[in-house]
Amino acid sequence: MNFVTFDASYVSKLRTGDAPTEQHFITYFSELILLKLRSRLRSQELIEDVKQETFSRTLSLIRSEGGLRHAERLGPLVNSICNNVLMEQYRSSNRVEALEDETAQRLVETRPNALSTVISDDTGKLVRHVLNGLNERDRSLLQAVFLEERDKDEVCREFGVDRDYLRVLLHRAKASFRVVYSKQVDAKKSGLVFG
Amino acid sequence: MNHQEAIQEMAVERYLLGELSGASLDNFEEHLFECSECAMEVKIGGTFIDSVRTEVSVPRRVAAPRVESARSWTSWFTSPWFLAPALAACLLILAFQTFVLQPRMKLEIAQAQAPAVLNPLILANAGPRGDSIPEIVAPEHGSLVVSLDVPTTGGFSSYRCSLIAPDGSLLWQTTVSPEQARDALLISMPTNKTKEGLNTFLIQGLPVGSSSSGTLKDLAKYRFRIKIQK
Repeated sequence: MNFVTFDASYVSKLRTGDAPTEQHFITYFSELILLKLRSRLRSQELIEDVKQETFSRTLSLIRSEGGLRHAERLGPLVNSICNNVLMEQYRSSNRVEALEDETAQRLVETRPNALSTVISDDTGKLVRHVLNGLNERDRSLLQAVFLEERDKDEVCREFGVDRDYLRVLLHRAKASFRVVYSKQVDAKKSGLVFG
Repeated sequence: MNHQEAIQEMAVERYLLGELSGASLDNFEEHLFECSECAMEVKIGGTFIDSVRTEVSVPRRVAAPRVESARSWTSWFTSPWFLAPALAACLLILAFQTFVLQPRMKLEIAQAQAPAVLNPLILANAGPRGDSIPEIVAPEHGSLVVSLDVPTTGGFSSYRCSLIAPDGSLLWQTTVSPEQARDALLISMPTNKTKEGLNTFLIQGLPVGSSSSGTLKDLAKYRFRIKIQK
């Protein structure tokens, strides 16, 4: 993953239909939209519908007469349009409730989602590597939180830790994963096999 | 929300753990869509969490498929098509030995080991003089004893004694030394080695100086009749 800057040049290429830029735009925001929607929509089909509609409206807006005035606001624009499409989706489903905590919790997708379905075997190895680097308690803690979907306060009490500990643990595990994941990506780019 | 605030509040981790809601959620998502660094952290974290779910929920080790190995030629011996007839044949052999052969052998052994008085048939000077032909009754599973004289006229290095069946076939033959020939010979024979009817003992001499394969000279013939008692 590369850091990207959404500037006037980028937006201009999107406006003119530059294929590589458009592909990057779709790829970059697809993952974010998936992460955003998976806690709000129940089915993969609905998520896909909202995502496609978001891209369609965003590109239409960029290519319209007024266009996007502030290129650096491209990301928030995508987010805003996604929120609007999502609300429309709720309304069409007679689900006009605001995204209160209760609703969000109820709609959390507990099954492996579209993102997880594309997780490769290599990524699985990396995660095992990271998990093996944790002590038994931390490994069980993450398992209880992410696999069993148990109430986090209850899990923390059971393991004798607080919510801050859980955040830090996730932060450390994520950082370790990022290191090995980046190595894998670099190795693949250079034609080497990481393992 | 700016990036510094997101870091201080551990917004990425809170977001991934589902701890954000309401305005804080909206604020962070607005920041998330414009901050490529936070976006990358969330993407990495999301991939990690999904991988944890997948890795922990799916058994790591899956039993290797069992591959049927090629059957060797020796496996033919364990085939039911071979084993069943073989077993049947073994049972038949066992039954034949148990119910036929063993009782017969036991009977023969018992008869052979049982004490019995044998009356030898004395053939000395019987046949050659034209006397009546002697008869001996022999038990079927027993033996008979014959006593005969060898005419020792001298000039023979050894003698041959042959038993000839009624049909002229040679039943039994032995070589007798001159020392053995001095006295009457007692010959014991199993009945099953003889044939019922008119048998003949032929006594022949090997002249001195002849080789073992030299011409034999007929010296005496003793005819007798065997009757087998069943």
